[in-house]
Amino acid sequence: MFATAGNSEPTKTTSYKVVLPFYSYAAFAFLVATILLFLSAGDITKHYFHPHTLAITHIMALGWGTMMILGASHQLVPVLIEGKLYSNILAYVSFTLAAVGIPLLVCGFYAFDMGLHTQCGGILIVLAIITYLINLAVSMVKSRHINVHTFFVLTAALWLLAAATVGLLLLYNFTYLLMPKSSLNYLPLHAHIGIVGWFLLLVMGVGSRLIPMFLISKYNNIRQLWWIYGLINGGLLAFVFIFLYSDSKLLLSIPLLAVATGIAFFVNFCSKAYQLRIRKKVDDQMKVSLLSVLMMLLPVIFLVIIVILMILSPKENIYLIITYGFIVFFGWITAIILSMTFKTLPFIVWNKVYHHLAGKGKTPNPKDLFSNTVFKWMSVVYILGFVLFTAGILLHSTISLQFASALLLLTALLYNWNVIKLLVHKPYL
Amino acid sequence: MINVITNNNIKIRVALAELQNVMDPEIGLNIVELGLIYQMDFDETERRIFCAMTLTTQFCPMGESITDAVKETLKSIFPNWDATIELTFDPPWSHEMISAEGRKFLNKK
Repeated sequence: MFATAGNSEPTKTTSYKVVLPFYSYAAFAFLVATILLFLSAGDITKHYFHPHTLAITHIMALGWGTMMILGASHQLVPVLIEGKLYSNILAYVSFTLAAVGIPLLVCGFYAFDMGLHTQCGGILIVLAIITYLINLAVSMVKSRHINVHTFFVLTAALWLLAAATVGLLLLYNFTYLLMPKSSLNYLPLHAHIGIVGWFLLLVMGVGSRLIPMFLISKYNNIRQLWWIYGLINGGLLAFVFIFLYSDSKLLLSIPLLAVATGIAFFVNFCSKAYQLRIRKKVDDQMKVSLLSVLMMLLPVIFLVIIVILMILSPKENIYLIITYGFIVFFGWITAIILSMTFKTLPFIVWNKVYHHLAGKGKTPNPKDLFSNTVFKWMSVVYILGFVLFTAGILLHSTISLQFASALLLLTALLYNWNVIKLLVHKPYL
Repeated sequence: MINVITNNNIKIRVALAELQNVMDPEIGLNIVELGLIYQMDFDETERRIFCAMTLTTQFCPMGESITDAVKETLKSIFPNWDATIELTFDPPWSHEMISAEGRKFLNKK
């Protein structure tokens, strides 16, 4: 009736020592980004290539988004591939390289100094990604369970390497003129490989596994996930090709349509998973995660408007482009991290603190290790700050931007308060 | 829930009742109602307990804690017995293994 593997020990998951540095770093980076946003709220609407905007964008993309996803993926990839992480040492190396590289790069951007230390930062980040990619690829090769989710994650990591490499080339292009045009011209290429190839693909790959799992949903549609995979990757490849080899703005509608369809399919996948859930009670963290899935549609709407305006007029609308960037990094990427942190970190901390007491006495529930009230307030303040800041950019309202940035800073403070509460948790017993 | 194979109904009933205190912390439901226990045997001559179980997902971050809790629970109610916990993912766990009671709990809004 049952095939037993003759194994009395469950297969070990990734050590908390590997994962916690990534989470801590990301939480701190989010705080730094919101402090800088608060101090530079007026500069944000000047141009998307403004030094302060560049610095904040890269703290959000690398320090916050990427570091958190790298940390979580070291924990979650074993769940996806049903195999062990290949090397903890490679994970430490990856963390160290990125942890040193990111501030070097960001400080360079903030001062608009693209010199040696900024270049070193860029090189360290590329090396960190290569290390992560090796760890991921070997873990997957060693696992016998290759599935659609692993394709999402591995392809996303390859796009991340591509985005970072293009970014490094753009950095060197400031000093050595390696490319036919100025770095500013290639910014959409670098940004979209990162946003669509890395963040979107990875969140979809992991989310399509975790959302039905947390909801205990009866819904699963592997065929739909393969369609999403094809549409996102096909759309991004088409964008890269059109960007490099064509001046036609009209052609950009092809990749836009492909990616938008992929996102619509993913929203539909999550919606069906939600409708067919067995677990009717949905916790606050899942509610914010599901909201972040809906928030994926916002940048698509903005991108459609931007592309239509580009087709109609050669002059780019700076405000719309800045809004688009803001709703990507402070929108769905931030929302999913704010929520998923508290679906993963409490369990990692619980295992660290209470594992040895399992079955020997009463232990608190992982969900009790952080304050859900603080989480709720954080979510409300975040949504208010996000909406107000978006309105502030579109209406060119400095007062609105300043107030919204204060709300986002408060979000980061509340988030860090809960993360620190978890990280310093001591056993009750 | 898959029917637990029995060779000693009273002991198994006691063990399953105690194992209802072992919770899946994410779902908030105990592992018996969740259908994680596949098989339980008591070897009276060797005084050994054999328990085959699964997890909702392989490499579940809480997996080790759950199996340790099962082992400790069995050892606490049968102190002079040796408990062996064997993990299996064949068949893999699915929502169909949740008991009627478990479904009722999860259906609460």
